[in-house]
Amino acid sequence: MDGSSDAAIVARVVRGDVEAFGQLVARYRDRYFRYAMHMLGNREDAEEALQDAFTRAFRSLSRCDDPERFGAWLFRILVNRCRTSGARRSRRLRTFVSDETALMDASEEHPAEQRAWREEIDRALARLRPDQREAFVLKYVEDLGYDEMSAATGVGVSALKMRVMRACDRLREMLSEVHSV
Amino acid sequence: MTRRSRALVGALALAVPLALSAQATAANTLNSRLDPTTRVAVQAIVDSARRAKLPTAPLVDKALEGAAKHSDGPNIVAAVRQLAVELGQSKRVLGGGASTAELQAAATAMHAGVPSRDIAVLRSAAGPHRRVTLPLAVMTDLIGRNVPVATASQVVVGLARGGAHDSDLTMFERNVRLDIERGADPSAAAQTRARGVMLRGTQRPGTRPPGNQ
Amino acid sequence: MSDDNLFDDGVIERIADELREAERPSADFDARVMASVRGIARARRRERHGLWNRVTQPRTITVRPWRAGLAAAALLLCATLVGWGAHAFARMEAAAPATLASSGSQRIQFVLVAPNAKKVAVAGDFNGWDAQHPAYQAVHRGGGVWSVTARVPVGHHRYSFVVDDSLWVADPTAPRVIDDDFGTTNSAIVVEPEIR
Repeated sequence: MDGSSDAAIVARVVRGDVEAFGQLVARYRDRYFRYAMHMLGNREDAEEALQDAFTRAFRSLSRCDDPERFGAWLFRILVNRCRTSGARRSRRLRTFVSDETALMDASEEHPAEQRAWREEIDRALARLRPDQREAFVLKYVEDLGYDEMSAATGVGVSALKMRVMRACDRLREMLSEVHSV
Repeated sequence: MTRRSRALVGALALAVPLALSAQATAANTLNSRLDPTTRVAVQAIVDSARRAKLPTAPLVDKALEGAAKHSDGPNIVAAVRQLAVELGQSKRVLGGGASTAELQAAATAMHAGVPSRDIAVLRSAAGPHRRVTLPLAVMTDLIGRNVPVATASQVVVGLARGGAHDSDLTMFERNVRLDIERGADPSAAAQTRARGVMLRGTQRPGTRPPGNQ
Repeated sequence: MSDDNLFDDGVIERIADELREAERPSADFDARVMASVRGIARARRRERHGLWNRVTQPRTITVRPWRAGLAAAALLLCATLVGWGAHAFARMEAAAPATLASSGSQRIQFVLVAPNAKKVAVAGDFNGWDAQHPAYQAVHRGGGVWSVTARVPVGHHRYSFVVDDSLWVADPTAPRVIDDDFGTTNSAIVVEPEIR
């Protein structure tokens, strides 16, 4: 029995082999954790959202219409979890932004430029509107096509393109401000 | 599930008549599309409707529509419940002989704001042997295009009383829609086009007097 | 499509490269997820086991003659429900159209002009509002015109076009239904039996 396809693992879990679900966790955990990190900005919230997504997926596994595309189905659940988590934890975001000055001072004193550049990117991403951040990450980090993005978010393709465009404009603006100093 | 119980389930499944296995497919679809809480609430409404001898397929369809459009559970339950109420009112107004399609069309018209007394007047005006499904659908459409409810009712009842066929009503609806798209006032468009239908109707060879079928 | 990468330039690509760096959750993440999942599975087993026990535990029952009939009827009902659980639920459905035999349906053409769409389908109460139903997927005929001809049962139906799996669009050429329940407008179609 080939247990390596998502559909085969899902079938085993639905038949009662709970431990097989661990294979799906291992398969998707890193990539989807990266998405949650970019959306939520901190490790704790990202792990909580991802764990919640896996748990919900397990609970409703028998309702996954297309087990071959379990990954996309799980991703939709995660996108929603991140939206809810983002709304609840907005005060954490403000905490992150308020550290901006300290970080900028730190980067001047410690010219590890690659690290500083990454921190600038993270800050800029955090300052995007959530819907623009989501669209940008799905397009440029997760490399989804617009159809897949629409399926994951429930948003129409033209709205998504607009959000990506605005996110790109905003990121260029914020990051060129930094480098023109 | 053990192999033996799977075999037992398989044997039971084979014993189910074909029509019911199609219903089982529909049940699985509802099972797969609604969360348990919503499913239980929808089932309760459907059970009540069945006891009241109302059609249940429209209620299931409404739940499936809500699931397809990613609506939340309470919203789906509220919509199904509202439809059940409207189906009940439709049956009271149209009588026990009304078809499922007529009941659905009447429920939809009520949902759009048509008072039940106007539906009763339409039923009477159309005559006992004429289905009112299409007239009700046209009434609903007019309201959806901002023809005031009273005007939409009056216009459609007048057409039904005047013996307009379903084909006349279909053409009437299309013409009103095009007029409104071109900028006409919805009420004026509906009344003008209705007059046109009645005029053509009295000039048509072999036209029966109003109220006869 | 060519405008997929319209917003690409060097800066954006550099940002994306950084963000694509791998991230890993903590080492015990998998263990925490599986602990949670095992807990759910255990709770489900307890629930099923509890119900089964309640049904099958031997009990002493004092039977009075007039109760015997009631008990027999109740047992029969239970056996029917347990053995036909899905069937009982299925009866409630009272059929999405169980049969589309030609005498009970008509072939209807659905047309939508949508030049920017990548996919168009028809979903309605005649196909369980399933936008993925294979018989209701429109084909692009050129010039932005999408169409599909499919069987629709006799009766009054509500439906909508679904564009790119996400946008619900009423048929501009059909009567409207005010369906504000789920935030979209549907279309109506009345299908009459074929006149022979």
